[in-house]
Order: sequence, then C-alpha cells, then structure tokens
Amino acid sequence: MSRKSTIIAAPSRGRYANTGNGPSLQPIDIGHDTYVGLVDPDTAFWSLVRKDKLGDVIAGSDLLSQYRKKSAAFAQEMEMLRFKLKPSAVYFNPTERCNLNCDYCYIPEEMRKNGEHMSEGDLLEALAILKSYFRKTLPKESLPQIVFHGSEPMLNREVVFSAIERYQNDFRFGLQTNGTLLDDAAIDFLTSRGVGIGLSVDGHTAEIANKTRHNWTGEGSFSKVLAAMERLRGYSSYNVICTVTNQNMQSLCQIVDFFHSCEVPVCMLNPVRCTQSGAQNIKPSDNQLAKYYLAALDRTYELFQKTGRRLVVANFANVLIGIVAPTARRLMCDISPCGAGRCFFALSAKGDIFPCSEFIGLPNFKGGNIFTNDLAKTLTSEPFSKVTGRKVENIEPCRHCAVRHFCGAPCPAEANEIHGSLDSVGAFCELYEEQVRYALRQIADGKENAFLWDGWDLGTVTTFNLSTP
Amino acid sequence: MNKTIQKAEAIAYRKKCEVNGTGLSHYILMQKKGK
Repeated sequence: MSRKSTIIAAPSRGRYANTGNGPSLQPIDIGHDTYVGLVDPDTAFWSLVRKDKLGDVIAGSDLLSQYRKKSAAFAQEMEMLRFKLKPSAVYFNPTERCNLNCDYCYIPEEMRKNGEHMSEGDLLEALAILKSYFRKTLPKESLPQIVFHGSEPMLNREVVFSAIERYQNDFRFGLQTNGTLLDDAAIDFLTSRGVGIGLSVDGHTAEIANKTRHNWTGEGSFSKVLAAMERLRGYSSYNVICTVTNQNMQSLCQIVDFFHSCEVPVCMLNPVRCTQSGAQNIKPSDNQLAKYYLAALDRTYELFQKTGRRLVVANFANVLIGIVAPTARRLMCDISPCGAGRCFFALSAKGDIFPCSEFIGLPNFKGGNIFTNDLAKTLTSEPFSKVTGRKVENIEPCRHCAVRHFCGAPCPAEANEIHGSLDSVGAFCELYEEQVRYALRQIADGKENAFLWDGWDLGTVTTFNLSTP
Repeated sequence: MNKTIQKAEAIAYRKKCEVNGTGLSHYILMQKKGK
C-alpha cells in the first residue's frame, strides 16, 4: 500500500496567535521600561507592545487582525529577499600583494607578500566578461558594481585607473584601500569620477590604530591614512571602516568622536572576521564588545544632538533598516543566506571566483575561473551552492531565535573556520542580539532616524502602519 | 511625537522598496553615486 505524500492543510482557521494556523508571535525583552517586542520570526514582522497590554494584544487586537491580512505578503517579501536575488556586485582583487601586514587579514600572508598583480590585459578582459554577463542578467537601467579590493588595489594603480577610465559608463566603481598610497593625483582621479572610496582606520590615535595595521617592518599606517582622510574631507562617497578587535574595543567611543571630528560621513565598526588564525588571536569577547559597541552608538546619538551632524554607523544602520524595511537594506552580510555568491561574488587577481572575499584564502570554496569557466555555471557550482544554501533554519540556536532574520548568523566563512561547519552559529551572536534590542528601543523612543542617513527611505512605500492610542 | 509614541498600546510599521542591497561588510555602498 502506498502512502500519499500530499501535505494536508490543517483545518485551523488561524483565529488564535501561536496555535494552529494563527500567527506566530514571540515576545522578546528589549530592555525598555514600557515596551516588549512581539516578533514573527519567519516574516520578520515586528511590533512593540506595552508590557501591561501584551495579554490583550495576544488575545485579539487591531494589531493581530491587521497582521493577519499582511503576513502572507511579508512572507513572500522575505522569500524574494532571501532566495530570488541575482548578483549585481563584484569584489575585484587587482593584485595579490599588499604593502601592509595587518594582524587580522583574511588573505594568506604568502599571497600578500610575494603574490602577483593582475595584468592590464587580464583586468580589462575580466571586466569585458563581467559586463557581458551582467547585461544578460540585470535590468538595463541597473549598473553593476565593481569594488576594487584587496590585498591593496592601489599597488596596481595604473591598471585599476585605466579600467575605471575605460568602463566608467558600464559599472559603478568603488575602491577599498588602506589609504597609504592615496596621493592628491589619485584622489583627484577617483573623486572626479564619483568612485566610492573606503579607508581602513582602527583607532583615534597612532598608538591604538597601529597595533593592528602596520607594514611588513612593523611601521604603522595611521599618519598616512590620516592625511588621506583630510584630503577626502567633504567628499560624500567616502567612508571609513574600523575593524574592532580586543586591541581597540575599549576605545570605540573615542574613535567615534575622532571620526565625527574628521567629518567622516559614514563609518563601519566591524567586528573582526575570524577567518584566519591572526584574527582569531585578537577576537574580542562577544559580550564585552556588545557593551562597548552600544556605548559607541549612544555616542553617535549624543554627537548628533549636540552638532546636528550625523556619523552613521553603517553596520548598525543596516540592522535597523533590516527591521523597519527589510528590502531597503544595503549590506548583505546580516541576512540569511548572506549575500555571498547570490548578491555579489569575489574575483581574485588570478581570475579565480569565490562567493565572497572572505573565502579567497580557502581554496575549497573556489567556484571556477573567470577566464576558463562559464561564469553562470561557476555561480551555481558546488562551492557556491554550499554557501548560498546556508540558512538560519539549519543552524542551532538560530532556528529557534526570534531575531534570526534581523541577524542572519554571519558569517559563513568565519563559522566554517572557527567551528568546522558552515551550518554553525556566527562568531558574534550576542552582539547581534544586543543590536536588535537596541534598535527596537530606539524605535520605541522615536529616535531611529538619528541613526540613519537623510533620505534612506526614498523610494519606499509603507506597507504596515499601526500606532494605537 | 515621542510622547505620543511612548503612550501607544502598540507600535508597528514596515516599509518596502525595490531591493538594491548588494554590499558586504568590507565596503559601503550606501550612496547611489558620488558627487
């Protein structure tokens, strides 16, 4: 006798929260005097409910009835965001070499020390292949993005600039650099073409910044990067990344003060990615980092109140936007699956293709080569599928976690190297818990826009709005 | 505005737009284009 495999619909009419076909709403403590969070993890729906009204809301309310009408649409929105996107950005390493030897770099030392530059011919050919590929996969009005990345892309400056010149109408270009080689001519060239520029600075003083970012003889990079920051003052497409380790987390508030005083428009306070052993050795403890990180966010709020000028912390802003407008998020690390291999991919100086730059030092995750393999097939290769198939539903404790779609359990390369499995939790679980709780507290107090850039919601429409008296 | 929100029994909102998020945490693609 054969069994039927048809899924039988439950006869529940979904009249009650948390049973049968009713909405699943998990209450979460957000550390607020008045409100608790009420979240449907699968649809990333959130609400804030007065603590003394939680029972009434769960028992039946305007909130519940309005959410019932929208839950299917929200589920569909998350399905699209998580599984239906196409790559539109490439992190392009034009050289293997770097003039710095930072403690936490995820590019193997031998490659950075003795590696090769990509030739002009190869670089232009790679861009021609990418242009042809994106022309077939992206809408005509959408420009794909190329971010020259490292190692240190400015070591291959002439070739990179030649490529930007040649393809400036075909791609949006960005450059992530350690800043030590950015002279006036380079900055003139890049800013006059609207190239986004990212610098790396790990401290507000040479003593702190140079602990982790220095050259091969131990000389720090701070003074040179500071000069580049001065040259870039006033340029809107400029940002600074501070990699947070156990060497500088205690100074995050002072670092925020420093960036604000330098008129940095946007920064990131990125916990160090522990893909390689050098980074693992200086990993900050999760709960200590969370404490310093939230204090730094408080400091950005104080600075905004005092001066009227924001310093946006982009990685927190992205978590906040991931809550209030999931489809408006800009960064695709803190979503599950992450953007690696599905929203962007990385290209090494030898033309090898990896889901993300974090995997460049991990040969098992090479999907193919841009010069010798079909790009579309590379993007569906086994190494890519492993990464794009990593999702929070398969990870403990994420699959039970109410904030799993505000966090995404980043990052797969890091999880794989620390825990030996892609399907394992990220390295900074508590930091994400605290960021989400903090974000919900800001919303409860009506302060969220102080942490976002002007116009962040241009082009958005409101799909849910409830504020009951 | 804050006073009104703090007294509300429940707060919830959500916005939607065309997806254009592409970036990883190494580089910020916040602006559409440099000036």
